[in-house]
Amino acid sequence: MTVNGAASPQAAAAAGGAQVTGEVVGRVLGTQAASPLSFWVGLEPGRVLQLDDVVVTRREVPGHGPVLVAGVVTTVEARHEGAAYDSDVFLIADGALPAAVVEVAEVRVTRVEPEVFVPPLPGSQVYLAGAGDRDQALYFDVMERRIPLGMGRDGQPLYVNFDFLDGTRGAHVSISGVSGVATKTSFATFLLYSIFNSGVLDAESANTKALIFSVKGEDLLFLDHDNTRLDQRARDGYARLGLPARAFGSVHVFAPPRPNDPNGVPHVAARTQGVSAFYWTLVEFCQEELLRFVFADADDERAGYSLLVGQVAARLKSWAEPIGDGGAVRVQGTTCRTFADLVEMLSDQLQEEDSRRDWTGAQTPLGTVNAFLRRLRSAVRPLSPIVRGDLPFYRSHSVSTSDAQVSIVDLHNLPERAQRFVVGVVLRGEFHRKESSGTAKPLLFVVLDELNKYAPREGDSPIKEILLDVAERGRSLGVILIGAQQTASEVERRIVSNSAVRVAGRLDPAEAARSEYGWMPPAVRERATIAKPGTMFVAQPEIPVPLAVAFPFPAWATRPAEAAPRPNDRPGDRTGARTSGDPFEGLPSAIEDDIPPF
Amino acid sequence: MSGFTVDPWDPGYAAALAVENIAELGATSAELVLDIELQPDAWQPVTPAPDAVPPGTLLVADGVRRVDARVWVEDPGAPMPVPGIAASYAAGIVRCGPEGADLAAIEVNRTLISASPHTPEVKTPHATYHPSKAADASFEELSLALQRQVTQLEVDLAVRHRTTSDDLLLVDGPLRGRTHLPRTVGYIKTHHTAYLPPPQSSVVAALAPGQRTPVFLMGTSWRRHAWYVRLPVRSSAPWAGVARCEASAELEPAQVVRLADAVTLALPPLAGVDYKDPRAPQNLVPIGGLEKLLRHHLGDARLLYRSLRTAALG
Repeated sequence: MTVNGAASPQAAAAAGGAQVTGEVVGRVLGTQAASPLSFWVGLEPGRVLQLDDVVVTRREVPGHGPVLVAGVVTTVEARHEGAAYDSDVFLIADGALPAAVVEVAEVRVTRVEPEVFVPPLPGSQVYLAGAGDRDQALYFDVMERRIPLGMGRDGQPLYVNFDFLDGTRGAHVSISGVSGVATKTSFATFLLYSIFNSGVLDAESANTKALIFSVKGEDLLFLDHDNTRLDQRARDGYARLGLPARAFGSVHVFAPPRPNDPNGVPHVAARTQGVSAFYWTLVEFCQEELLRFVFADADDERAGYSLLVGQVAARLKSWAEPIGDGGAVRVQGTTCRTFADLVEMLSDQLQEEDSRRDWTGAQTPLGTVNAFLRRLRSAVRPLSPIVRGDLPFYRSHSVSTSDAQVSIVDLHNLPERAQRFVVGVVLRGEFHRKESSGTAKPLLFVVLDELNKYAPREGDSPIKEILLDVAERGRSLGVILIGAQQTASEVERRIVSNSAVRVAGRLDPAEAARSEYGWMPPAVRERATIAKPGTMFVAQPEIPVPLAVAFPFPAWATRPAEAAPRPNDRPGDRTGARTSGDPFEGLPSAIEDDIPPF
Repeated sequence: MSGFTVDPWDPGYAAALAVENIAELGATSAELVLDIELQPDAWQPVTPAPDAVPPGTLLVADGVRRVDARVWVEDPGAPMPVPGIAASYAAGIVRCGPEGADLAAIEVNRTLISASPHTPEVKTPHATYHPSKAADASFEELSLALQRQVTQLEVDLAVRHRTTSDDLLLVDGPLRGRTHLPRTVGYIKTHHTAYLPPPQSSVVAALAPGQRTPVFLMGTSWRRHAWYVRLPVRSSAPWAGVARCEASAELEPAQVVRLADAVTLALPPLAGVDYKDPRAPQNLVPIGGLEKLLRHHLGDARLLYRSLRTAALG
């Protein structure tokens, strides 16, 4: 037959005219319509294409020369050709019925270069993309500053354009996935590591900071310890990504004080160095009007006492006088040394007919006052450990990102009410600090898991306000949110839509069907429901299909058993972190640092 | 001028002449030798001998034909254009072995047949039709001329392929010009003539699935060994599922019996099922599959018809 003869000289001409690299895997199908956006490939016998492979084909277009059509395989199918009934498979296997096994693959076009949107011709040869073609297909050739994300299915590195992370053209990362198997936190940590170590930050690498809110156990407390389980294969993986395989250089952990401990020792079991306790004194609580963050639930906004919260906070700010150096306050003649004292004082004052008028200003219904007090009293237990007036004031006790490159706020020992309080207050502090500094650089990356808790789609809360602020203005202020959540559908829409880079790990099938995952083609969504831990689908604005990324085994310890001791820890040092004045921070260090002392 | 025109009538019209009938013409007054394997009065259904083995690899050959267009060929010597047909035909061989069934050989030809000596060669963008001549202008003669070409192609293919292999070759239809090929069996699925006299033909009706009749010799101008086989079938009609096999007349009786046993063992697993194929079980699965493949290789009929009309316009 010569029906497809028309295409063959064409393919030959293209092969001669343009530089074709990579091996031939098959030809463009003519039984399925080929379009400039997607086409099907029939595979030559013995050739294999798997999902996520990058393929290219070329077409000679009069007046434009060779046009490269490159894409990513999104579907692969195998069929018996010539079988009409399901039972024919047995006849074919037994050798009675002649039939051919045919494999086809669907390709989603990612790039047409030059931009002449013509379909590839049926019969044209399709090549597995070689090094140059692959970079072109995935736009890596036009990324001036790129961050390694991990390996593709072909074992080659995949990148994300840093322009979409640092605010140049976009910012923020949204990571979704089922808890436990989606490895959201691990990916966020690897992304940070990649940003700090890939060299894109240049001179700013020392001053670029990360703030991680850790809500799940003590996994993140060993980021600065080499991982003893890191084997040579994983090391090679890092080498191929162009990253050193080592722990984070500079990490400081902030943990709440141990309950009922008179000295405010940080409540951490597994880590002894580079840890400090964080808490707020009653003076700060009153001066900075932190009372709002006690009522940070979406329920609180509905309860109708938000006006009252504001009034009481304002009164506390103007009436509270510091006494002693432990952070205690005196309000209206009452000395408060603990959060419970403060709540008791407020309770007395608000229940007294005369003093209530002073506090609330106008007439406030008694029911509202009681609701406010009931809610306030329930906060005593969760907040007592972190709002203090009884600890020596000279100790540094606030969460600050200036001590180390990576600051970890350990929340896992705190009840949810206190977690909200801490996240809200710390985020507000850092955001205001960046706001007042006036420049976006150096950047601050904020990693926050369970974003659906802090910025739910429904309702309003002070934390959500701050997070929205970060999402909408953080790009220009240099605050980059790396948010993670089990269900993107339950997170405030504006936060998700402001994220330039979207990532999904293993998804719940019901969740994957929601419109929030519209950036994933149906086949990818289906795959996301069976994704293995360590596999993420990453979408970035430049590439029209999400990339399936396998990020490498962490080079830092994720649990005490994996942690190699740090040779350069100075015993007795309170912060334990190397000060970030080191100009060589982030550069590959001396080789002996890299070899873990097994 | 292209020298021909395409008839606007559908090419399938009036083509429903049973091709097999033409092939079997003149075979009615067959001379019979019944005592090759068993004495005529001792005839009974034969179950293959216990030491008989089915062939390891079975080759199945078949051909298909299709009239692409009916044409009128302009003949300077005739008062009016001469009718003709433009046809595509193909022959192929399927190798059924332990590794599966695959296409061992295939060949596709196209021809323009008419009674005129001035039949042109037609080149279209998709295919070339080679001219050939029929005995007269009747459609039966044209069809017979086409069938001869198909048979010739089948024979050529079998001969060419046979030189490289010594497996058992099953030919769809009578053996015709292939009697000299070793280990080759003709397979006839339709019966237009009862060759056997009544006492022996009752043995055919008594066959159980997987059994055969004793071998007999038949023929006049062409002599062949033959036997009937019953394939697995659900119908209880006396001749349901019965096919006739032919082998070369030159074979020794013992060789033919061995060949008949091997074929009788090989055929039942290949029998078709009635809900998949209306010609089951005689239409064997590999033959059905091969015909489908061959028809596919003939190309798209509408495309060829259109290209023929375009070519006729010059």
